[in-house]
Parts: sequence; structure tokens; C-alpha cells
Amino acid sequence: MRRQVPLILCFLFGIVMMLVEFSPHPVSEGLRAEVIEWDLIIGPFALVIGVVTLVHTHWIRIRRRVEHWQYSYLVFIGMIVMVAFGLPMGPKNGGNELPKWLEWFKWFKGPENEVFVWFFDNVQVPMEATMFSLLAFFIASASYRAFRARTLEATLLLAAAVIVMIGNAPIGDVLWNELSPVGENIPSTARQWILDNPNLSSRRGIILGVSLGVISQSIRIIFGIERSYLGGGD
Amino acid sequence: MGTLTDLITLLVDFVTSHAQILGIWVAAFFTLCIYSFLYRDNPFYRFAEHLFVGLSVGFGIVISIHQGLIPFAWDPFWEAVTKREFMGLLKLIPIAIGLLFFARLIPKYSWLIRYPIAILIGIGAGRAIPNVMDAFIFRQVHGTLTPFGKIHAGELGFFAIFGAILMLVGVICTLTYFFFSIEHRGVVGRISKVGIIFLMVGFGSAFGNTVMGRVSLLIQRVDFLLSDWLRLI
Amino acid sequence: MLEKLMSIDRRIVFILVAIAVIIPTLLNVRFPITVSQPTRSVYDFIDELPPDSTILMAFDYGPSSLAELEPMAAAVLRHCFSKNVRVIGMTLLNVGARLGDRVMSQTSAEMGAVDGEDYVFLGFRPGGISVILGMGTAIDSVFSADYRGKPLSEIPMMQDVKNYDHIALVLDLASSGTPSTWIAYINTKYKQQVAAGVTGVMVSELYPFIQSGQLVGLMPGLLGAAEYETLIDTPEKATAGMSVQSFVHLLIFVLVVVGNVAFFIQRRRAQ
Repeated sequence: MRRQVPLILCFLFGIVMMLVEFSPHPVSEGLRAEVIEWDLIIGPFALVIGVVTLVHTHWIRIRRRVEHWQYSYLVFIGMIVMVAFGLPMGPKNGGNELPKWLEWFKWFKGPENEVFVWFFDNVQVPMEATMFSLLAFFIASASYRAFRARTLEATLLLAAAVIVMIGNAPIGDVLWNELSPVGENIPSTARQWILDNPNLSSRRGIILGVSLGVISQSIRIIFGIERSYLGGGD
Repeated sequence: MGTLTDLITLLVDFVTSHAQILGIWVAAFFTLCIYSFLYRDNPFYRFAEHLFVGLSVGFGIVISIHQGLIPFAWDPFWEAVTKREFMGLLKLIPIAIGLLFFARLIPKYSWLIRYPIAILIGIGAGRAIPNVMDAFIFRQVHGTLTPFGKIHAGELGFFAIFGAILMLVGVICTLTYFFFSIEHRGVVGRISKVGIIFLMVGFGSAFGNTVMGRVSLLIQRVDFLLSDWLRLI
Repeated sequence: MLEKLMSIDRRIVFILVAIAVIIPTLLNVRFPITVSQPTRSVYDFIDELPPDSTILMAFDYGPSSLAELEPMAAAVLRHCFSKNVRVIGMTLLNVGARLGDRVMSQTSAEMGAVDGEDYVFLGFRPGGISVILGMGTAIDSVFSADYRGKPLSEIPMMQDVKNYDHIALVLDLASSGTPSTWIAYINTKYKQQVAAGVTGVMVSELYPFIQSGQLVGLMPGLLGAAEYETLIDTPEKATAGMSVQSFVHLLIFVLVVVGNVAFFIQRRRAQ
């Protein structure tokens, strides 16, 4: 029950899905549509795992008083704020009437679910955007400290990176056209050549290699050879 | 009591009528909180970081329920129950399987979540095989070899012929580098060495593009601070 | 001196980067943009579509790559609205729901496009590949209503658009692996034309699909957005951003050169 049934289910759904992809017969098309629908219905429930894991992690941090445990309350506050404001009306910006039982809660009212959207636009978006923009500073610092032409391979990497970087920046072409007597837009042309030729070949090699891996892994999963997704225990 | 309600009403009115400008100041505050990390780790950064995690999970929950669970599970369930159609009731099976994810909450029955996971994984693996083979192997090999047909027909110029040969050499050498079943010595070793050269140029170009990507994010934040917040531009 | 140069506090580099962004932003510097072929291909494809064609735009990005992909989305939407090409918006990422809605309503307001007639935003559905495949059978089997809850049967522009047969192009604006998913699952099976606009980080890895014809074209990050703005002759945020970008690239170039020169001098001395 605990391991065999999941393995059988995985095998059945895997085989069916693989076969119906090949056949244009109406029956198999119908079956395919049905399986897709099952996938769509079951999938969203996986949300539970993510939420439970996050809540559990931060709950443990608070209980064990690990360093900076107080901040874990903020995770809960953020989550509760979004759910409390978002859930009653959802993200829809209007159309829906406010449920009667919520009418006393004045700032829910309005043509748009403003609070939920406001928090997303003015708190969540700027924070995430800024967090990732920190990488611009780190990449610059790393370029200065670690980007060295120590070996032939490292030199090639560095040269390609510099050509692409200068080719990407509009000033590359502007300076070249101003200063060089020969050729026009050489930096961006060189960048394009690298992307179209050596880059393309190496990426294609990677795609072919990875795809062969994906296919063999999928076969192993369907036939129950790879079963790590079942997790530990019996 | 009356004064308290009045006060709250006043506050709410103020907030709602100034929502946009407040939003810009709040966004600027959090932007600066995060940038304070560049100096060193500090309470402002940790405050923003944790609040961000909570908000984004909360956002995810709301959207997933409203745009996922409600249309895919609740609506069909409600329809099946109210209309009492037999075919509609069939949808209760995947809904029930989906509900097994909640078994995660009860340690004794947590093994039950293997059922929905096994189905999702089976479906994913099954349809990956034909599609990946077709799109990422056949079509990619086809793309590598098509130019040679054109060379044969005399349709390509010198540079295009050079490019086609370079591409074929690059693909073969890179693949050889990833072929771990034989030892990389002798001819194979030399071919895989050429593969490394192609890979390094590929990674270098990716690095160059990554720099552009990361800097773009910074430019947008600086633009926000200087123009929307400080109105210097 | 050399030792000092090699071991400067990284915060000095941070300050240099900040200066390289802030000053050109304040001065509002603008450089002309050279348009690359992959971006031009996307533009040409949309430009040659007959009026009243429909394209599908997938807003598969989150706030972390908003800076690169939102200007791109806005530029393509402007182009479509000016050509009377209808746009269906949707997303495979939950954060894309609000971001897609925002850019579509802002751009449509600017261009006078009408919701439900010139464009529609369907929002988000979880399920990734199944969402993509489900729309191949019938769009309304996945999206029964648009983002605002209006049933598809009541939306005028959706009356003659049922599945990929009625969609001229799928344009994926992506910050993760979604373009290859779209390619693998609809380009091959449904013969659907696919184009992509992606973050800088992902540009290099998608080139093989352009050459093999699996991608109509590819817009590379903020540069792609600036190129598209140049093509539609409406220089906006991306064009300004790329001009500022130039100075940071130059700075990083100088940093790499200085770092390497110092490294080689030090190595020679050690020898």
C-alpha cells in the first residue's frame, strides 16, 4: 500500500501519457485531455507542502530561539497580512461584490482590492527587485577580484565575456564608429558572432546531453528504478 | 467609543487618499533597507528580508487558491454536487487524490502524499519522453545538419560554410566532453579539450549577458529612487 | 601600492558601481541602439501579421526580472495595439498575475486599446506543462474566465479564438526555463510559432533554438527591450537604461583590466 501503489500509479500514468502523445486517435486524444485535467486538478494542492514546510521551519526557529529568531515572526506577519486581505476577494480588481459579512470592515471596500495589490506593488515587488539588484555590485566586485586570465581556458572565458559585454553596451558601437577608421558597429557584430557560433555549438552540446539524461531518468522513473521521490520510510 | 471609530475612519481616509505617495515612500524605505546590506548585515536588512519572505508566500497562497484551487477543484466540485451529474462526479476522484497532500499534516498518514506525487511525477515523466526526444534531440540534430544540405546545393557562401563546419565540430566536441563512459585520453582527450574551448566561450558569453541582466536591475532601482521618489529627473 | 590596489575594500568597488549608475541617470544620457537580428525577427513577424490576428503573450517573470522584461512587454504591446494585433495575456508564474495585469492595463490605457476586444488578460493557472497542453485542446478548458472573473464566452475577442490554431504567435517573456517548455510542448506538436524575450542570464542558452527554427526570434534582456523600442521608434525606459548600462559595462571592463594587470605584475615579481 505504502510503496507499491504509488509505483504502480506512476507507471500507469507515465505509460498512458507517453503513448497518447504519439497517437492522434480520438479515444487517445480524449484520454490525454482527461489526464491533463487530472494533473491540473491535483497540482495546485501541492501548495500545502510548501506552506507547511515554511511555517514549520520558522516555527522551529522561534521555539529553539536560534539566532535572529525574532525575525521569524515577521514571516508570519507578512503571510497573514497578504492572506487576510487577499483571500476574501482574491486578486481580482473589481467585478466581484464584497461578501456581506465583510462589509463592516471598511477598508476592504472599493472597486479594487487595493490593499492586497498595494502591498504587492509597494512592498513585495520593490524588495525582490532590489534584492536581485544587489548582485550587480557583487558581480562587479567578483570581476575585479577573481576574473583572471590564469590559463588558456580562463582567458577564453574572459575574452568572450568582455566582447559580449562591450557588444551589448550601446557605447561600444558609438565609440568604435567614432574612433576606428575601419568597419561599422564591430563590437555588436563580434558579440553576435560569438553568440551565433561557438556559444550556439556548446549550448547545443549541453542541450543534447541533458535531454538524453532527462529521457533516461524518465524511463527509470516510470519503471520504478528511480524511486527517490517516494522519500524515506516504508 | 465614538471618537475611536472617528479616529480610525480619519486614519483610513488619509491612508486611502494618499495611497500612491505612501506607496512610493514605503517602496523607497524597503529599497534602502535592502541596500544597507552592501555596508554589512544589519537589522534593517533582516527586517525587510523576513517580511519579504512572508509577503511573497502569502501572495502565492492567495493567487494559488483563487487562480488554481477554486477554478480547478472547488468550481467543478460545486457544479458536480449541485447538478448531480454522474460525469461531473468523476472529477471528485482527482480532487480526493489532491486532498491527500493534506496528509502531510498528520505524521501517521503522511505516506499518503506519495499517491498524488507519484501521479504527478508519472505524468511528467511520460510526456517528457516523446516531446524532449522530438524537440531537443531530433530537431537539434536536424538543425546541425541542415546547413550541409544547403552547402551541397551550393546555396551557402564562404562564411556560412565555415560557420556550419564550426557548429558541427563544436557540437561533437562538447558532447564528447560530456561523454564520461570512456577515459578522456588520446584522440578522445584532444577532442574533449576542444569541447572545453567551446564551452568556455559559451560560458563567457553567458557571463557577459549576466552582467547586463544584473546591472539592468540596479538601473531600474536607481531610476525609481531618483525619479519616482526624489523627483530629481 | 600594488598590494593595496589588489586588496581594496569591496565597498569601494560598490561605490564606483553606484556612481557609474547614478551620474548618467541624472544626466539622462542617450546612445543610439544597434538592433540585432534575433530581435528584428520578432518585430518583423509581428509587423507582418494581418490586422485582427491574435498573439499570446506569456508573462512568465517575477519582480526579480521586472526591470528587464516589463519594458519589453510594454514595447511589444504598443507595437501590437498600433497594428491592431490582438493580444491574449497569461502567465505560468503566480507573481506574473499582477505584473501581467499591470503592464497590459497601463499600455492599453496609453494606446486606447479596449479590454475584451483588443486584449484580454487571463491571469495565472498552476500546472505549467498541463496548462500549456490544455490550451492546445481548448483555452477555456484551462481558463474558464479572465483575470477579473469574466467568463471567456462573454469576451468578444475570444469568440473566434479557441486554441493554438487561432493564435499566430506565442511570445514568452521569461525569467526561468519556460521558453524551452513552450518549445518542447507546443512548437513540435501543434506547429505553433514561438518567440521569446528573456533575462540577460538566459540569453546564451536559447541560441540553438533560433538556428533550428524552433524560435522565431529572441529578445535579450534590457537590450532586447531597447532594440524593440528603437524598432517601433518610441525610445522609453529601456533605451535610457541601456545608455546608463554602457557606463557600468565600461567600469567592469576597466576593473577586469586593472585586476589582471596587477595580477600579472605581481606574478612576475614573485617569479
